[in-house]
Amino acid sequence: MHDSDLLFSMRDVHVEVEGKEVVKGVSLDIRRGEKHAIMGPNGSGKSSLANALAGHPAYSITSGTALIAGRDLLQMDATERSLAGLFLAFQYPLAIPGVTVANFLRAAVKARSNGDESVIKDFRKTIKANFKLLEIDDSFATRYLNEGFSGGEKKRLEILQMLMLKPLVAILDETDSGLDIDALKVVSKGINYSASSDNSILLVTHYQRILDYVRPNYVHVMMDGRFVRSGGPELALQLESEGYDRIREETAAKVEV
Amino acid sequence: MVMNTLTLTNRKHGFRAIRQGEPEWSHEQRRRAWESYHDAPNPDRITHLWRYTKPEHFLISNPGEAMLRDVPSRTGSTGIDTTLSSGYSAHGISRADLSVGIAVADEYSRAGLYVSDLHSAAADHRYPVQEHLGKLVGEPFGKFESANLALWNAGFFVFVPDNTVVREPIYLSHQPLDEVLLSRSLVVIGRNSEVTIIDDYGSDVARPCPLANSVMEIFTGDSSRLRYISLSRFNETTPSIFTQRIRADRNSHVLSVFGSFGGSVTKVNAGAVLAGPGAESLMYGLAFGDGRQHLDHHTLHHHVSGETHSDLHVKVVLKDNSDSAYTGLIRIEEKADNSQAYQENRNLLLNEGTRAESVPELEILTDQVSCTHGATVGPIDPEMVFYLKSRGYSNDEATRTVVTGFVEPTIRLLPDDLQDMFRGLVRRKLEGK
Ligand SMILES: Nc1ncnc2c1ncn2[C@@H]1O[C@H](COP(=O)(O)OP(=O)(O)OP(=O)(O)O)[C@@H](O)[C@H]1O
Ligand SMILES: [Mg+2]
Repeated sequence: MHDSDLLFSMRDVHVEVEGKEVVKGVSLDIRRGEKHAIMGPNGSGKSSLANALAGHPAYSITSGTALIAGRDLLQMDATERSLAGLFLAFQYPLAIPGVTVANFLRAAVKARSNGDESVIKDFRKTIKANFKLLEIDDSFATRYLNEGFSGGEKKRLEILQMLMLKPLVAILDETDSGLDIDALKVVSKGINYSASSDNSILLVTHYQRILDYVRPNYVHVMMDGRFVRSGGPELALQLESEGYDRIREETAAKVEV
Repeated sequence: MVMNTLTLTNRKHGFRAIRQGEPEWSHEQRRRAWESYHDAPNPDRITHLWRYTKPEHFLISNPGEAMLRDVPSRTGSTGIDTTLSSGYSAHGISRADLSVGIAVADEYSRAGLYVSDLHSAAADHRYPVQEHLGKLVGEPFGKFESANLALWNAGFFVFVPDNTVVREPIYLSHQPLDEVLLSRSLVVIGRNSEVTIIDDYGSDVARPCPLANSVMEIFTGDSSRLRYISLSRFNETTPSIFTQRIRADRNSHVLSVFGSFGGSVTKVNAGAVLAGPGAESLMYGLAFGDGRQHLDHHTLHHHVSGETHSDLHVKVVLKDNSDSAYTGLIRIEEKADNSQAYQENRNLLLNEGTRAESVPELEILTDQVSCTHGATVGPIDPEMVFYLKSRGYSNDEATRTVVTGFVEPTIRLLPDDLQDMFRGLVRRKLEGK
């Protein structure tokens, strides 16, 4: 029987990219209303996992299972995963020349409106309100998506998309990287605004700082394609002061045993 | 007026008067062009303009047939009823049997705007047809342009007097019948005047036509402003060759756009000659191939005078088994100092089985210029498609969005009132088949 509070659940997921295994068996359960953070050194496989879950064709899940709200994620293509409620804020958002932010989002909102006209009717109002919340200038509506945007502007735009699409499970891949101090606050405000007891957030980050604003219930440490440690928010604080070396040593010791 | 049509054979010396209603100079011009067409060998495939397309597509199998037409009476049943739709200053319809329909808004008629079929205009000595016809695209141009000059059986003449601003576009529609369309048009624009011309070949209701060979010559007066849009949307079985030249005089400003959407083999040669200091030409092109379409586009920006500026963007989208060749020549003459030329061609391939070539050609005979060019050919970016799908777009929607985005920056360079028309043409092509 499916636990209806379990929004996301994966078991022993392996990911391959370019013929190389970069995620080597990870499991995670996320319940309604929970926030989880994944931390880990560069190249440990965090983005690969996120991309594979979102259905990126270059990242294949070679074994394991993943469910979103009880539905088999791995049977769906990227479109269906998005419509099922999965959202990935990309670490490096792509520019789509010639497609304005407003047109891009209108179509994305329409795709999940299930024919509900009011969603489309309210689109302008909603996007304006979210611009305001994220302190994005209205002129961005008619700019081409991410084209010529600064690093920080791209990150804000990813959060704007999350606010517009209202996902069940949002994976935010280093949305805090490259943000100045004020922008970090604004983006955190956006994340907290969207977080509710009905959805859940999986935050990938390198820094404790964002976790001061977006308080996670659980922190997981990923190293070399595996979750090597899970704990509460205190784990992030420990990493901040000690770095990954201690966990690395302990993990290595464990493996030797 | 008596209209006698004489027979004509497929031999060089068989050329006799085609239509006695035409003045002597026109008859003579046709005769010389006919000889020139007849004498000229097929273009050599080595010469760059013919590297990509077989000339045989455009040979007229029975030239006599193309000419053996009675000129219909303007008031009789073969004249085409034409009503002026709002938003246009004039509307012309021309068919391969020399039947025409013309409507010009009273306001502009009174101001001296004259729109007619070329055949009537050639016989009307009030208008400067003789001194312009064939001067930009005439006999020395090439075999098929000669054929057009000898045998034209459709086309328009537009005259805009000095100091006349025509706000709404003139819409010219060249409608194929079931026979060879040889359309030749001439536009003469006076000084300080402004006009927009939409030149529509094939039009919406494209009927299959065995061959279309079209020519447009435009002369702009000093300090005039021209917006010229040509559309090629023949039936998918029709081979078409279109040659277009604009002469931009001193301080004139020319915006020309070509849109190639239809035809089986579509060969376009579009160019502007910057003939006086201060002249500017912006040329934008959009071509979209599908099915088994073969597109061959050549553009020319010829800086004859110094202090001139040209800018060119051509975008090509290909799907199914279509292919495209683009050659873009910028020629800057020895004395054309302080000229600026920019040229960019981008090609987007939607699937395997499509092919595009892009060849920029620069002939620059002076140092005092600035000239930039760039070309890209590439498939649709799978990362973009994924990004869109990750936001809920279906695969088709994502592809359509990327293509729309590819052409949109070029569409936004067009005058506001014409952008939606081009968006519609692209959308139809994307959704078609
Ligand atoms: N598209 C790809 N092609 C080839 N190798 C890749 C690709 N994507 C990821 N990798 C490799 O997979 C490994 C994991 O990379 P990934 O981007 O998942 O790490 P990460 O944990 O997100 O790192 P960071 O903290 O630097 O963002 C790295 O060795 C990386 O080089
Ligand atoms: Mg990463």
